[in-house]
Amino acid sequence: MAGTANTPEVPAAGSAEVTAAAPAEVQTEVQTEVPVAPAPPDGETPERFRARARAWLAANLEPANPSARGFRESAVSDVAPERALHRRLFDAGFAGITWPREYGGQGLGPEYERAFAEEARAYRLPDFGIVGGTTFRVCAPTMLAHGSPAFLRRHIPRILAGQELVVQFFSEPDAGSDLAGVRTQAVREDGRWVLNGSKIWSSGAYYADYGLCLARTDWDVPKHRGLTWFAVPVGASGVTVRRIRQINGGSQFCQEFFDDVALTDDDIVGEVNNGWTVAQTMLIFERGGGIGPGGGSSAPKGIAADLVELARSVGRLDDPAVRDEIVGVHVNDVARRALVARLGGLMRADPASAAHVASYAKLAMGTYDPLRANAALRIGGADAVSWPVGEEGRTAAAFLDGRFMAIAGGTNEMQRNGIGERVLGLPREPSFDSGRPFRDVLRDASTWTGRVPAAPPSEGRA
Amino acid sequence: MSTRLLAAPTAEQQLLLDTSERFIEDTLPVSKVREIAEGAPGPDGAYFETAGSLGWFGLLVDEAHGGGSASDNGLLDAAAVAAERGARLQPGPFVGTNVVASALSRAGAPFGKLLARLIAGQARATWVAGAARGLTPGAGEITARAETGGYVLDGEVRHVQEVADCEALLVTARGPAGLLQAVVATDAPGIEVRPLDGIDITRRTGAVRLDGARVGADAVVGAPGSDTEALFDRQAQIAAVLVCAEAVGTLHRDFELALEHAKVRIAFGRPIGSFQAIKHLLADTSLTLEMAKGLVAAAAEALGADAANGGELAHAAKAFVGERGIDVTHACFQVFGGIGYTWEHDHHLYMRRLAADAVAFGAPQWHRARLADRIGVA
Repeated sequence: MAGTANTPEVPAAGSAEVTAAAPAEVQTEVQTEVPVAPAPPDGETPERFRARARAWLAANLEPANPSARGFRESAVSDVAPERALHRRLFDAGFAGITWPREYGGQGLGPEYERAFAEEARAYRLPDFGIVGGTTFRVCAPTMLAHGSPAFLRRHIPRILAGQELVVQFFSEPDAGSDLAGVRTQAVREDGRWVLNGSKIWSSGAYYADYGLCLARTDWDVPKHRGLTWFAVPVGASGVTVRRIRQINGGSQFCQEFFDDVALTDDDIVGEVNNGWTVAQTMLIFERGGGIGPGGGSSAPKGIAADLVELARSVGRLDDPAVRDEIVGVHVNDVARRALVARLGGLMRADPASAAHVASYAKLAMGTYDPLRANAALRIGGADAVSWPVGEEGRTAAAFLDGRFMAIAGGTNEMQRNGIGERVLGLPREPSFDSGRPFRDVLRDASTWTGRVPAAPPSEGRA
Repeated sequence: MSTRLLAAPTAEQQLLLDTSERFIEDTLPVSKVREIAEGAPGPDGAYFETAGSLGWFGLLVDEAHGGGSASDNGLLDAAAVAAERGARLQPGPFVGTNVVASALSRAGAPFGKLLARLIAGQARATWVAGAARGLTPGAGEITARAETGGYVLDGEVRHVQEVADCEALLVTARGPAGLLQAVVATDAPGIEVRPLDGIDITRRTGAVRLDGARVGADAVVGAPGSDTEALFDRQAQIAAVLVCAEAVGTLHRDFELALEHAKVRIAFGRPIGSFQAIKHLLADTSLTLEMAKGLVAAAAEALGADAANGGELAHAAKAFVGERGIDVTHACFQVFGGIGYTWEHDHHLYMRRLAADAVAFGAPQWHRARLADRIGVA
């Protein structure tokens, strides 16, 4: 039964660019060497640490070049030098400064991390593109919160040494906003787990080493209760990574297909069928990465300088309608910055509310980014939609990317639900799936009538 | 009900707000404002004197002139008080009196006596600007003709918010040497104040007619001409911040009522707030409200501290709150449904006030035009 639910998505042929599954360096073998970081010297102080960092940085790293392009996510080969650079930081004791000693970190306080960040500002640090943030600020912290000591001893030192880049295998073609409704499944067979299904929107998976994958391990319980996290080697047999060609021509996002991928208990993060707890931790780290208090401090000067420049470049800066359009954008810009400053104050006053209040910042981006991109398109006029061959067409590109924050990382609708229910205290929607086996939920959804399925007879009824 | 315009008030600010809220709830809660709206007399002298004793009218006045603030930023304090006033639809020229007190404090000694009365709540005042500098197009203008020892003022200005029981007016007039401002007493010869009807029945709006009214040179505030133009702009910015702060409080309470309604009103077997159509409307509305609060607080903070971007933020606040405030009250109305169309529900009192506050002290278009003037200015 529920055969459709168990069948992995079949990719539509020719719908997107297909590339090599993964870089050769991770495809050949899964390395087992666990690197060891030096311990901090006895009697370390923030001042001594800072002096040590300053000397090491000056002797070992290149100065930062602000005009240089960052890591180019289109070229897999670019990642090797970045890994080597991270390894040098690790070997010198400057990777994972606040992370636990037993897992390759330095076990020092946040003041040491701040000192290093201040000293390192002038130097070129390893740049893993978008995967850097996913690895070090989302996936590894989630692992540290839920992974077994044995798991952490295997993976965290290698992450800190630049040997393992980790992405999220979270959303699916059939599960985006409803993340607990994932259908990729891991089935227990002969002491192993066999993974089948598909994941999508994993940024930079084509140059990563592992994907933290949320899989269904029990179809006969409600959806939140039958989920388990696995660390899946991107280069494992049966994993295919396909880069998605985006509407802006880029292709940093990926889709993965799992075809009888063999995993073991050692690959599990957290407990079997307790994956939703882990997922919530991950979502908190994910939100924390994007929106921090104090984001309103670096206010740009003047009135929407980029749009003024655009209007000037198309010869419309004297047009009163264009000037009023620019002012309208400016007013929203300053209101958004003021909002972020306000949210920072609210979060500091009540840290427990921070995760929910942060939804305002996300919804503001999702609401006003598209309006701003549309305004730019109107100001640019014909020049924004057609331009000389070889030029960039930046206004058009910004328009195509304008809805990014309205959808990625939790749609506007999910933010509205969060604000409505957890900030404003509005009553929840009736739930049709939280109390029933997920297998039945999917079966009944395909013949949706709008009627709530009859509740099972309550205990004690004859 | 506290509007929490300030995300993190200081202990002194919180004390000012707590005492202000308690004073309002004890003396002039919304139920009593409603009686005023339906014809009962407005707040009496005791209301304003108590308000004065709480510090409401001295926040923008230098200590040397008898003023004082709760924090080191009196405009931020005043904005926070204004928001609590707006939430409870408090009548009276709070904005006008503070704008005039601020102007007189800067002008100094000659106005000490009036200033002391304003600070103590013994007298009220407001600013009569009309169409000067395009602030309120079509509202009429005052002209000033020089005579020995002073000026003769003529003209009529309509749509002066809360002018009804003001003892003094700061009048902006077009004079022989450019813009000119003078303080006139409303009981002086040649001055007539008459009431106007209006959409906002919680405030008493009027027209001021000057017919050969004479003012001495000592009644002139600031030097006529470009100095006065600069004073005018600052007054408009302070007024914008304060009237926006009142409006944000009004929005806050209207939204709070709509939110309560969405939680208790049952339809189709559920509280209507459980429907995404309502929930999402309220979430979007609350985003607008949070942005409005953030922007008004930021504008008050910057303008009150004489920061370089204070004026721009004040104009932006009036543009945002004036325009988007109407959207917010419409959304609340939609959530109320039919009950919002009844006289006995309070929603219309809030909606009426927001429409009037949007154009008071310069409609959003005027404030946007000031921002447009700044385009390309580094």
